[in-house]
Amino acid sequence: MDFVGSMLMGFQVALQPGNLVFCFAGVLIGTLVGVLPGLGPVAAISLLLPTTFHATPVSGIIMLAGIYYGAMYGGSTTSILVNIPGEAASVVTCLDGYKMARQGRAGPALGIAAFGSFIAGTLGVVGLMLVAPPLAEMALKFGPPEYFSLMILGLTILTFLASGPMWKALLMAAFGLFLGCIGIDTLTGSLRFTLDIVELSDGIGLVPVVMGLFGISEVLLNVEQSTERSVFETKIKDLLPNLRDWADSIWPILRGTVIGFFLGVLPGGGAVISSFVSYAVEKKISKHPEKFGTGMIQGVAGPEAANNAATGGAFIPLLTLGIPANAVMAILLGAMMIHGMQPGPMLMKEHPDLFWGAVTSMYLGNVMLLILNLPLIGLWVKILKVPYPILFPLILLFCLIGAYSLNNSIVEVLIMVIFGLIGYFFKKYEYEGAPLVLALVLGPMLETALRRSLLLSAGDPTIFLTRPISAVLILSSFCLLVFPLVPWIGKKRAVLPKAEAED
Amino acid sequence: MHSVNNDQVSAALWLILGLGIIIASIPYGLGTLASPGTGFLPFLAGLAISLFSSIGIVHATLKQRQGARWKSTMKGLMWKKSLIVMAALLAYVFLLKPLGFSLCTALFVGCLLRTVQPQKWPVVIAGAIGAAIASFGIFEIWLQAQLPKGPWGF
Repeated sequence: MDFVGSMLMGFQVALQPGNLVFCFAGVLIGTLVGVLPGLGPVAAISLLLPTTFHATPVSGIIMLAGIYYGAMYGGSTTSILVNIPGEAASVVTCLDGYKMARQGRAGPALGIAAFGSFIAGTLGVVGLMLVAPPLAEMALKFGPPEYFSLMILGLTILTFLASGPMWKALLMAAFGLFLGCIGIDTLTGSLRFTLDIVELSDGIGLVPVVMGLFGISEVLLNVEQSTERSVFETKIKDLLPNLRDWADSIWPILRGTVIGFFLGVLPGGGAVISSFVSYAVEKKISKHPEKFGTGMIQGVAGPEAANNAATGGAFIPLLTLGIPANAVMAILLGAMMIHGMQPGPMLMKEHPDLFWGAVTSMYLGNVMLLILNLPLIGLWVKILKVPYPILFPLILLFCLIGAYSLNNSIVEVLIMVIFGLIGYFFKKYEYEGAPLVLALVLGPMLETALRRSLLLSAGDPTIFLTRPISAVLILSSFCLLVFPLVPWIGKKRAVLPKAEAED
Repeated sequence: MHSVNNDQVSAALWLILGLGIIIASIPYGLGTLASPGTGFLPFLAGLAISLFSSIGIVHATLKQRQGARWKSTMKGLMWKKSLIVMAALLAYVFLLKPLGFSLCTALFVGCLLRTVQPQKWPVVIAGAIGAAIASFGIFEIWLQAQLPKGPWGF
């Protein structure tokens, strides 16, 4: 099927009334999640995953994807108005966005964030449509060694980009791999580390782990801090940026789009990193770098475009290779599997309706977000005024119900609570949860690929180096692992977390 | 605790865990390289945890020589509130089946609203009952999730 035909089929699927409703629900919930500090897209998608079980796979994936890119839109609102990022990818928007609001320019800041997000989100989807099919074709040539090496590269990139010492990120990835081993060994059928708990024979569920690590732990950390958040009291006017604002923003938006898209494609990259990189690039090439942090519209436009373009890019490795690029994609991978689909190179051939329907729904979702975001800003501001002591019991309640309704199992709820406590200590001792989640998802696939490769080569581990694609991937991982040992690069790598800590 | 720093302590705990995983993996059978056994990957994961935590201990010790000391992770924080939340979560887990979803949810929300940052009783009662009814409506009736029913049928 040619490209135009595929797109038309995609629109046919996405424009079905039921799918439009799911898309709308997804972007609306996503924006709300992005607006509310302390509840990110990972936790929200985990929470709402069980609600898609009654829907068709296409509708379910359309809604979950909508939550993801909707959250990127919503996150900027809290950054600009409250100086608290609604989710991690909007951290950098606080720097200039909040300053603009203090100067009485909250309207243009919110407006350019919405338009920038729309432009980047749409271009990101175009990129996804163009890049995914040839990549999927190429991926058909991948055997177990190539898949193993690709997954190792994904994990290495994520640990390389993680903040803090690399040994901590690698440790988390190794722990995630171990957690992924719990349950039935798919090759021999024997049970491992289940402690005679029946529920563990299918392995540790991704959703309880993610909700615990990112949702419960966040609440535990928030309640022990006495931060009062006050919404900046200003009349939000002139949401449509003027010509000057557009002239200042259009190139940062386009640059942010390119940066976000390509960093989003890389397994382990994503919205957070790309927003920081975009900000750094804009500051670097600006004629007035000293003014960044004082209310420059470029400091809002670039990062907001980057984090939205990254969402489109992040779908590429998932849909073409079956490799999730980040924690959100890992949950989407789980969701697709629950719906009986295997993301990967065959997805486009076996389920073209799902692939093209989901992709084209992102176009429609971006339009909905633009229409939604500007008039609803007043509503989001009202929601932001709900005090956290009233909000957090409800967040916890959603987590508890979400974990229970997965399999009607108390054990899964207990796993979530335990991982909430573990995540709390991880954050206290500065261990990042993302490598663990990615490794947990990739673990079973990685193990199968590793063991099949070794069976294929009669136990010769050099198979990973003698096949060209695999060798390139493994060598890339090796370089990434060795790079931090080079002092100059080590220093460069330290800049990002330092900037984050200062914010 | 003042002679060691946070990373040394956490890395040491990871090392113990890593060694534990290595030991626990062996009975599952490591197999051979030509035919890896069930315990093969967990063994490698345990080995990796032990290796990276050892690197962590060395790294943290070097930092200690540069002046990195133990930093309390609870200082200046109202950690008792997170303890209350944790206790409420565990209580919810163990009381959900005996008490049923609605009552357990009302008690859970009410308890948190009253204890963590005490709200007025009308807010607590309205919040508890409202959350129980709304979540029952959304999840049990609309989404048809099968939530546990207590002895009283709800």
